Amino acid sequence: MRGESQTLSSPFSPPSGWRRLNPAWFLGELSETRFWMYLLLVPSLVLIVGVVLYPTLYGVELSFQTMRLNRPANNGFAGWTQYARMWGDPVFWLSLRNTALWVTATTIIEFCLGLVAALALNRDLPGTKILSVLILVPYFLPNVVAGNIWALLLDSRLGVINDILVHLHILDGYKAWFADPNTAMGAAILVEAWHGFPFFALLLLAGVKGIPADLYKAATIDGAGRISQLRLITLPMLRTIIAAAVILRVIGLVNSPDLLLILTQGGPGRATEVLSLYAFQTAYKDFNFGYAGALSVVMFILLMIFAWGYVRLSKVNED
Amino acid sequence: MAGTRYRGDLAINVLTYVVLIGLAIFCVGPVLWTLLTSFKVPSDIITANIVYLPTQFTLQNYVDLWSQSNYPTLIINSFIVTTLTVVICLFTGTIAAYAFSRFNFAGRTQLMLGYLVVRMFPAVLMIIPLFILLRNVGLLDNRLGLAIAYTSFLLPLFVWMLKGFFDAAPKELESAARIDGSTRLGAMFRIVIPIARNGLVATCVFVAIAAWNEYLFALMLTTSEGSRTWPVGLQLMVGEFNLPWGMLAAGGMISIAPVVVLFAIVQRWMVAGITAGAVKG
Repeated sequence: MRGESQTLSSPFSPPSGWRRLNPAWFLGELSETRFWMYLLLVPSLVLIVGVVLYPTLYGVELSFQTMRLNRPANNGFAGWTQYARMWGDPVFWLSLRNTALWVTATTIIEFCLGLVAALALNRDLPGTKILSVLILVPYFLPNVVAGNIWALLLDSRLGVINDILVHLHILDGYKAWFADPNTAMGAAILVEAWHGFPFFALLLLAGVKGIPADLYKAATIDGAGRISQLRLITLPMLRTIIAAAVILRVIGLVNSPDLLLILTQGGPGRATEVLSLYAFQTAYKDFNFGYAGALSVVMFILLMIFAWGYVRLSKVNED
Repeated sequence: MAGTRYRGDLAINVLTYVVLIGLAIFCVGPVLWTLLTSFKVPSDIITANIVYLPTQFTLQNYVDLWSQSNYPTLIINSFIVTTLTVVICLFTGTIAAYAFSRFNFAGRTQLMLGYLVVRMFPAVLMIIPLFILLRNVGLLDNRLGLAIAYTSFLLPLFVWMLKGFFDAAPKELESAARIDGSTRLGAMFRIVIPIARNGLVATCVFVAIAAWNEYLFALMLTTSEGSRTWPVGLQLMVGEFNLPWGMLAAGGMISIAPVVVLFAIVQRWMVAGITAGAVKG
């Protein structure tokens, strides 16, 4: 690097011997070269290549291998074996279906709650500033705490939500929400929506604030009601932000099994088994790294197809 | 006409308050209930009829958790991992964000897009190779190793968020400094970074909170008490030792206290940063 910088020779006077030893001066001179911006990027690039790119490619390679840490004797190249096994694995198909349900339901609920919150906050009524901060709270809570808070609230013996619902005569008796295959997914979706909707509220609020007030004034003069204003102005103007928020959220939901791992571990039975959770457990419990790799590669490809299709679709609508 | 209009606005205003207060209760209520639970004696928690307000206020849950479990160790581990993560991001990410914000160079757009796309890579796909890699270099079950693993998803986030704040800092002062003979390096450290310091703090806090809260990587990449972070430790206590609800609630409250404090301090700038980064992204 030193030699390079000298041949590049900055427009400044040639360095006298002792000054070159001062690192601050040397870096200052280096910052005047044409390669400065690349030098600034090197440390982060090295890190990202090392901890993201290389591991990901390595993971793809693993998916073509038999790699079980607990049975090292069989390790080696396996070709498409892992993928063939996946095709015939009913748990894979089940978890795929569960993932679709989990992601779609959560995203829709979060979007609706977030939109309502954003529209309400955008009215800027006195006293709502503090409410906007309170609404953000769940977003910053750790999964472990969020999960256990709701495990406590929905507990089958001590849960306060059961108690309230019984007092309101909605339920006859306490219910074990996470132990019943019919309600486990619903309860988990509620928890995730609680945890994630502030993100939508935040982004949509920023978007709503950016819509020119003139549009609404003109619409009012033309006699448009509040509902048609929402449908014809607000939602179309928010299209880009909605697309960005949905994509980011779907990526997050598909990729992270954290909350389900804490709440249900995929149970009861396999009622809440999603793809990322299945892949993680395959690696973490069975130490079957090859199959776990294949599962996550397929998950990643499906996610890419979704993102690509979604972006295309929202672009087509724009024209 | 004006009268109905006014009444209509009033109804909408009332509805707005109802909606917002309802949402705020939905968001904060569960946390408050947990806080309340952490102050209850066991007989108030495990009862046939739910006791809403504690009959006697106690700090015993906090004392028990702190003295009878390894919670202090877990908290210290988390603190070290979080600090290391922030330091790594700060040193490598700040200059990268500056380069993206201030220079136009070949490959800039593609590189920035690359920093965004790596955030889409499934954690599960990276965790397995990271496990093998860290084991090979002796950093498995190590706090530095975990911090390095965290940069895989936090560094791109850091760069994108900070770039937004750098973009917002006016370029004129920097040009003036350059005309006065300052090097680019000098302008960066004496002008741009001080101007964007609120954003820098907010970005660091955001990354710190994410590292402090992280569960999945920590679960896979730590195996002993020497490096285990609090989310893994707490969940382990729940699963294996059937931690009583009171102590669990106390543990949750202790662990989110730093998050709440940090969030309260930088909430305004942080919100700006998240939205700016996401909207442009």
